[in-house]
Amino acid sequence: MSSAVSTLAPLQVGEPLLPERLGELTGLDQLGVGGELIAAFIGAFIVGNLMLAMTGVAGPWAKRKITAAFTDRYAVNRIGPFGLLIIVADAVRLLAKENIIPEDADRPAYDLAPIIVASSAMLGFAVIPMGSGIQLADPEVGLAYVFATAGIASIGLVMAGYASSNKYSMIGGLRAVAQNIAYEIPLVVTGLSVVIFAGTLQMSEIVAAQAETLITIGGLDIPMWYAFVNPFAFVLFVAANVAEIGRNPFDIPEAPTEIVAGYQTEYSSVYFVLIYLGEFLHIFLGGAIIATVFLGGPAGPGPAELGIVWFIVKIWAVFLFTQWLRSALPRVRIDQLIEIGWKGMLVLAFANLVLTALIVGLLEADADLTLTMLTVIFA
Amino acid sequence: MIGLLKSMATTMKHALDGNKFTVEYPEDTPDVSPRFRGVHKFSQERCIWCRQCENVCPNDTIQIVTDDKRNGEQYNLHIGQCIYCRLCEEVCPVDAILLTQNFEFTADTKHDFVYNKEQLKAVPWYKDIDPLESREPDRGAWIGEGDGEIDYQ
Amino acid sequence: MSTGLEPVDGDLEGSEADLASLIGDRALERDDHVNAPGFVIRPDDVQDVLFDLRDRAGFDYLSCVTAQQYEDRYESIYHLKKYDDPTQEVSVVVPTSTDNPVSQTAEPVYRAADWAERENFDLVGIDYEGHPDPRRILLPETWQGHPLSLDYNQEKPQMVTLAEHANPLKGDTKDTETDTMFLNIGPHHPATHGVLHVKAVLDGETVVDVDPDIGYLHRCEEQMCQQGTYRHQIMPYPDRWDYVSAGLLNEWAYARAVEDLADIEVPEYAQVIRTLGAELCRIAAHMLALGTFCLDVFGDFNAVFQYAFRDREVVQDILEDLTGQRLMFNYFRLGGVAWDLPEPREDFFEKTRDFLDGLPRKISEYEDLVVTNEIFQIRCVDTGILKPEVAKSYGATGPTARGSGIDMDLRRDDPYGYYENLDWDVITEDGMDNYSRVLVRMGEVEESAKIIEQCIDLLEDWPEDDREIQSNVPRTLKPDADTEVYRGVEAAKGELGIYIRSDGTDKPGRFKIRSPCFHNLSTLPVMTQGEYIADLIASLGSLDIVLGEVDR
Repeated sequence: MSSAVSTLAPLQVGEPLLPERLGELTGLDQLGVGGELIAAFIGAFIVGNLMLAMTGVAGPWAKRKITAAFTDRYAVNRIGPFGLLIIVADAVRLLAKENIIPEDADRPAYDLAPIIVASSAMLGFAVIPMGSGIQLADPEVGLAYVFATAGIASIGLVMAGYASSNKYSMIGGLRAVAQNIAYEIPLVVTGLSVVIFAGTLQMSEIVAAQAETLITIGGLDIPMWYAFVNPFAFVLFVAANVAEIGRNPFDIPEAPTEIVAGYQTEYSSVYFVLIYLGEFLHIFLGGAIIATVFLGGPAGPGPAELGIVWFIVKIWAVFLFTQWLRSALPRVRIDQLIEIGWKGMLVLAFANLVLTALIVGLLEADADLTLTMLTVIFA
Repeated sequence: MIGLLKSMATTMKHALDGNKFTVEYPEDTPDVSPRFRGVHKFSQERCIWCRQCENVCPNDTIQIVTDDKRNGEQYNLHIGQCIYCRLCEEVCPVDAILLTQNFEFTADTKHDFVYNKEQLKAVPWYKDIDPLESREPDRGAWIGEGDGEIDYQ
Repeated sequence: MSTGLEPVDGDLEGSEADLASLIGDRALERDDHVNAPGFVIRPDDVQDVLFDLRDRAGFDYLSCVTAQQYEDRYESIYHLKKYDDPTQEVSVVVPTSTDNPVSQTAEPVYRAADWAERENFDLVGIDYEGHPDPRRILLPETWQGHPLSLDYNQEKPQMVTLAEHANPLKGDTKDTETDTMFLNIGPHHPATHGVLHVKAVLDGETVVDVDPDIGYLHRCEEQMCQQGTYRHQIMPYPDRWDYVSAGLLNEWAYARAVEDLADIEVPEYAQVIRTLGAELCRIAAHMLALGTFCLDVFGDFNAVFQYAFRDREVVQDILEDLTGQRLMFNYFRLGGVAWDLPEPREDFFEKTRDFLDGLPRKISEYEDLVVTNEIFQIRCVDTGILKPEVAKSYGATGPTARGSGIDMDLRRDDPYGYYENLDWDVITEDGMDNYSRVLVRMGEVEESAKIIEQCIDLLEDWPEDDREIQSNVPRTLKPDADTEVYRGVEAAKGELGIYIRSDGTDKPGRFKIRSPCFHNLSTLPVMTQGEYIADLIASLGSLDIVLGEVDR
C-alpha cells in the first residue's frame, strides 16, 4: 500500500526501486498510473511473500531446531528431510482447526487484532533496502516510518487483550502496551543517534553511509557499520529491540508460565496463525532494522547481487540471537522491566544521543578529522 | 552482566558440541534394565492355581476362575489396570507368572487389555532378555531343579 | 524420651514426667503411642494445653493432625515435635462424642492446624470450633458426607449440583465497587505443577490475596492403604504420592512406620542399600525441582529444564537397574529391600560412580546458568519471603524450611537407615527467599552425592556371606491391636510422616499420611501477599509441590 503511494510521488534519486524496475521489465510503466500501481502491487507481493516464507520456515521448523540445539535434542526430524515438511503439516493442522471465538469477545476488535498485528510488521518491510535492488519505497522519512508501523502492533496487542474477554489476555495486553511504550522511546532515541551520524532518515542513505571503510586492520577493511562506529548504541538498540518484540528476557507480555499466553490466550486456528506470524514478522522486522541501521544493510563480501543473501543472513542472525537469549536468560518481572526501560535504557539512550550529537557536532567542522577521531574513540 | 554472559556461553556450548540426548525410538530402542517390569508372561503348565497372586494383587488386576475341583479354567489379567508392582511374581511359589521386559503393548480399547491365559502365554520376550537371569540366582536354581535350560514358552 | 537437650523457650525439660506435670489435671488419661507419650484431653482444653506445650515445653512443631472415628467416639490426635529435636514427640489425643463431634480448634496455636483440621473435617467429619475457615479442602464443596467416617454410605450419590447445594438466600457477592480483580490460576495452567487451583485476588499486577484450592488429584490414598495388607499391598502406593521420582523416599516412610509398629529389624546391609537408593531418588527429585522452577522463572524455552531432565535421566537409569522400574519402584519391603544390587555388581558400581564423577561438572554448569545469573538473582532474591517463625508455625519442613534457616533434617535429627554412620552435612540458607530454596536444593544434591559415594564404598567391601537383604518377616503381619505409631522420614520435600493404628487385623485400622507438600503449600498465601504475579508463580515453583502428595 505504502509502496503505491511512494511510486506515485517518486522522491528518490539514484538506484531505481523494485516497483519501478518491475514496471520497466514488464512494460507496465507504459500504462500510466494504473500500471505503476500494478507493478507496485507485484513488488509488494514478492517482498511480502519472501518475508512470509521466512516466518513460515522460522515458526514451525527453525525455532524448534534452534531450541533443540540449545537443549541437546533433535526436534522435528521425522517428516521430510530434516523434518522440513513439518511446515506443511503444521500449516494444514493449524488452518484445519476450529476457530473458537469466546462468547463475550468484542467482535470487530477481536477479529481485527490478529490482522493488525501481522500487517503492521509487513508494512515496515516496505522501506527496507534488502539489497539486490529489492526495496519497495524509499521515502525521506524511512526510519521514522519503520518505527511508526512497528508501533502500530501495540494497538493490535491491546485490542487482542481486551477484546478476548479473558483476564489473562487483559493482563497480557496491558503488559504489552506498558512494555512497548517503555522500550519504543529508547529504541527510537538510539536510532536517532545513527541519524545524527548519517544525517538522514532515508534508509538507502543510511545504508550508503555505512559503505565507507572505517579502518583497515591487517589488510581487512572494516566497513563503517554503525555497530562498529558506536557499539554502545548497537548494544542498547539490540536490547531495546528484544523488549520491543517481546522475547526473553523481556517476554512478559506472553509469559506462558505466568499468564498462560497473554494477549493471545483465546486465539485459535487462523487467528492464532496470524498472531504467530505477526510475532515472527516483528522479530524479522526488528532484525531488518538492526541490519539496516547498524550492520550495513545488504552489505557483505562478494558482488552486489548477493546483497539480499547477506541481508537475510543478518536477519536470521538476529533471530538466532533472540532464540539464544531465550535458552539462557530468565524473564524479568514487570516492575523490573519498566524500571529498566524508563530508568535505565531511556537515560542511556539520551546520554548516547547527546554524546553522539556532541561528537558529531564538534567534528562537523573538519570532516576529515571526523573519521580519524572516530577511529581513535571507538576502535 | 558476567553471569548473563556465562549463562549464554553455557547454552551456546551445548548447541555447538553437537551431543544429543534424544533416543530415536523406535529405530533406536532404549536399553531396558534386566530387572525392568513389563507385561506379564504366564505359564499354565507351571501354575498350581494356588491363587496367591490373585490375593496379593493390590488392585484386583488378576482374576482366576477354577472349577469345583480347583482345577484352573481361566487366568485373566488386565494389563491396563496393572501397576507393575511385581508382587504376583514375588509370591508365586512356582514361577508360573513372570514380568517380562516388554513394555510395548497397545490396544484400541481398554477391554483389549484384558489378557487371558493364552494371550499372556504369547507375550514375547523383549529383546530376548530372559527376566529370570536377573532374578535371585538361588530361585532360578530351585526352579530349574538341575536340568539346565528353563523353558517357559 | 528425654535426650537432655534444652528446650528453646520453655522452663521444662521434655521428659515424660515433666509433660505429665505440665498438663496436669487436664490429662484425662494416658494413651501412649509407640514412640511418643500420649495424653488424652477434653475437647475444650485443646488450645490451653497446646499453648502450654508450645510455649513452656518447646513443642513448636505441629507435625500432623490425625482424625478417626471409633465405634464410640471421634478422635483428633495432634502429633507435636520440636524443630530443634524432632525425636522429642508428644501426642495430644482429643476424643469427642459421636453424636456431637465438636472439638476446639488448634489454629491459634499452630497455623499448620488450619489446613490439617479442614482436612479432618472434610474426610472424617469432626467440627473444629473457632476454626477461621471451616470449609472442605480436598473434596468438592458439594460433596455429601465424610468418606472416612464409619456411617458413610458408599452407595449414595456423593455429589450434588452446585445449584442444589448453594444457599438460595445468600446474596450475590459480586462487589462492583472493588478495584481488585479475581483471577483463577489453574487448575489447568502451565505453572501450577499439576492440577492446583490458586484463587488469586489481584490489584493490578500485585497479589492481594491467594487461596490455594487443592484436592483435584485426591485419590483416596489413605483409604486405599487401609484396605491393603501391611506385608505386601501397601508398599506400591507410596510411590504414587510424590510421584516425581521420589518413590523410595516415600516407601521408606511407610517401611519405617510399620517396622516400628511391628518391631521388625532391618539388616544393616539392606539399610545401606536403602540409603543409597533413597539418596539417588533425592537427587532425581531435586533435579526436577530445579528444572521446573527454572521453567517458571525463565520461560518455556529455557535450557536448564532440559539439562536437569537429562541429568535426572542418568539417575533414573541407575534406579531402574536397582529396582526394576523408573518411577513406581516398589523396591522396599518390610524388613529390607526386594532385591540385592544387580549383578554384575561391578557394573552397577561403575555406572553410579560415573554419574557421581560427572556431577560436579554438571552442578557448576547449573551454577553458571542459574545461580550466578544476574537476572535470576534479581528475580529470586528477596521474593517469596518465608520467615522462620512463620515457617515453623505452618509446619513447613524440608528444603522450604531449610531455605528459611531452620536447621532441621530428620536424617540427622531423628536418624534412621544408615545416615548416622555417614559423613554429610545439612544444608541451610538464611535468605528465606526463593533463591535460598534453590541453593538448598542444589546443595543437597551435592550432599546426597557424598552419601551415595560412601554407600558404594561400603557396599563394595561388604562381606559376601553377610548380604542379608530382608529379615524374616511373617507372611501375614498382624500387629497388636490398638497400637499407634507416627513416624516421619525426610522425603524430598520435607517430613513425610505416616500414622498407623492397627486394629489386630492384617490391614491398618487408620492410615494417615502427613504430606510435606500439603503443609509447605499452606505457606503460599503468607509468602506471596503483596508481591507480583510473577513472584507468586516463582514462589509456588520454589515450594516444589507435587499435587499427588498434596491431595493424596
